[in-house]
Amino acid sequence: MKYLNFLEEALIAFLMTGATLIIFVAVIHRYLSGYNIPGLQSWLLSLDLSWAQELCVIMFVWMAKFGAAYGVRTGIHVGVDVMVTRLEEKHRKIFILIALFAGMLFTGLVGTLGLELVSGMFHTEQVTSDMEIPVWITYLAIPLASYLMCFRFAQVAWTFIRTGEVPHHDHGHVDGLEDDDAKGQPA
Amino acid sequence: MSAVIADAARKPLSIKWPLGILAALLVISLVGGKTAMIFCLLLALMLTGMPVSIALGLAVLTFLFTMTTVPPTQVAQKLFKGIESFEIMAIPFFILAGNFLTHGGVAKRMIDFATSMVGHMHGGLGLAGVLACALFAAVSGSSPATVVAIGSILLPAMLKQGFPKQFGAGIITTSGALGILIPPSIVMVMYSVATNTSVGALFMAGVVPGLMLAFLLGVVAWYRARKFNYPRMDKASWGARITAFRRAFWGLFLIVIVMGGIYAGLFTPTEAAAMSAVYSFIIAVFVYKDIGWKDVPRILVNSASMSAMLLYIIANAVLFSFLMTYENIPQAMGMWLLQMGFGPIVFLLAVNVILLLAGNVMEPSSIVLIFAPILFPVAVQLGINPVHFGILIVVNMEVGMCHPPVGLNLYVASGITKMGITELTVAVWPWLLAMLGFLGLVTYVPAISLWLPKYLGMM
Repeated sequence: MKYLNFLEEALIAFLMTGATLIIFVAVIHRYLSGYNIPGLQSWLLSLDLSWAQELCVIMFVWMAKFGAAYGVRTGIHVGVDVMVTRLEEKHRKIFILIALFAGMLFTGLVGTLGLELVSGMFHTEQVTSDMEIPVWITYLAIPLASYLMCFRFAQVAWTFIRTGEVPHHDHGHVDGLEDDDAKGQPA
Repeated sequence: MSAVIADAARKPLSIKWPLGILAALLVISLVGGKTAMIFCLLLALMLTGMPVSIALGLAVLTFLFTMTTVPPTQVAQKLFKGIESFEIMAIPFFILAGNFLTHGGVAKRMIDFATSMVGHMHGGLGLAGVLACALFAAVSGSSPATVVAIGSILLPAMLKQGFPKQFGAGIITTSGALGILIPPSIVMVMYSVATNTSVGALFMAGVVPGLMLAFLLGVVAWYRARKFNYPRMDKASWGARITAFRRAFWGLFLIVIVMGGIYAGLFTPTEAAAMSAVYSFIIAVFVYKDIGWKDVPRILVNSASMSAMLLYIIANAVLFSFLMTYENIPQAMGMWLLQMGFGPIVFLLAVNVILLLAGNVMEPSSIVLIFAPILFPVAVQLGINPVHFGILIVVNMEVGMCHPPVGLNLYVASGITKMGITELTVAVWPWLLAMLGFLGLVTYVPAISLWLPKYLGMM
């Protein structure tokens, strides 16, 4: 389990860094190759970075799918909880469980549909437009991440049944404030 | 979920409420036909408190399975295709850029700069609070983080100087929301994704209303401070001002990179966002030295999961708007409105009311993604400018963040001020009223939002 957690975090951090650097390098490349510096210019012009945008988009889609699974674990997904939070304890528990099971249902369904989609594409020759990698590989993110997300929902539901706690993300957290009370906890 | 603790003091709701609402929704959907059914299903799912993204997705899946012949594997494909665009990817980049600079050290520099500029006027630190919030919110991109960062440094200082708590809390809560209007703004990118409007034009259009609203909030603070004779500070020397500006400059330059880069045609908005992410990393680690290398992985993971949450909502919202278009709902609504003879004036009033109501229960990005695709086609038919309509929606969202029951700014402000939600609501009233007035102005005077982008030839 520890390894899975670490792998998940490492993957999304890597995708985030990678995509940022790729676009940064591509932009710098575009401007630098416009200057007439002997040697450097011809070397830069020989590099073709037209695939950068496509790779960036694919990396971010993967990051979005796996990050969403990670987000279930940290409780970052926001819902409309105006009514539910004001219900009596026992009724609220029922609603929270319904919500968690709905999450499992949806991600499980999407995972299965995604698997069907990928296996349908597996036999086709479809490739992406710039990098020309098989499309089914890029779409693997849907089944893999959806099943992972489904698993995360199950995990959260199980913890909730045992301890009554759901993870909650603090949207107002700021580093570097001396006052430790100032972390967005309501009075 | 922070609402749990804040509301604990109130009497719990009876189970009859949710059951009653569900029954009512069931009746409406049986009477109202297909369209009503989609919306009632969505409402019912959302009421259970499940993530908005999941509720959207489940509503679409249920509908597609039972009522249409669309192959369900298309759903999986749409969840991928829906966010497979380079324009959308400005969102993770802007979040990353903001997170590097969302730090107490940056907030302190902004406050010092703001105090040196306006601290000597009526309202002193309060006025500085408005300015500091506007600057920090623009750079960090997060309203709640702005409230916490500026509030927890400035409020204790204000109390020490003898300001009443309510005054400071009201200022910080409302000014913290300025961030979504002053570019770069993630909510504007969301709107542009949902409606295919130019991000560059939207950003430029946000400048004038953003400055006007900041000025207006400042005027309210100034007026009240003069009336109640709140303390002022000594006038800072120009030397001190320049020093403070130099320290705040590196953070503020981020706005220049984004706006200048887009306007001058150096970068596309997404490229500008990526450049600003790298820039803010360099500033935070090497220039300000607020964060060390060991903090970087945590910031990356946090930004990634925050972006993933938003992109997940976008993917599901695209699915939902696909269903809307499939059922021709926006067109039908537009036709109906035109037949009723509603002009732009009534329509815009209705939009404001709908969005303010939605702002009572949902957070900005979900509202924009759900409502913009429905309302936008109608607005276009009525001849309303897409950019103006976008700014109007954003100002609406800003108001929504500052009033109960779910204004996120209120909750975080309640956390740092140790004031109850009710007490805080009373405290924000003067500024909230000013914001509502400003909303009316922005709604019916398109020139406020359209003048700058038109002047710059961006539209």
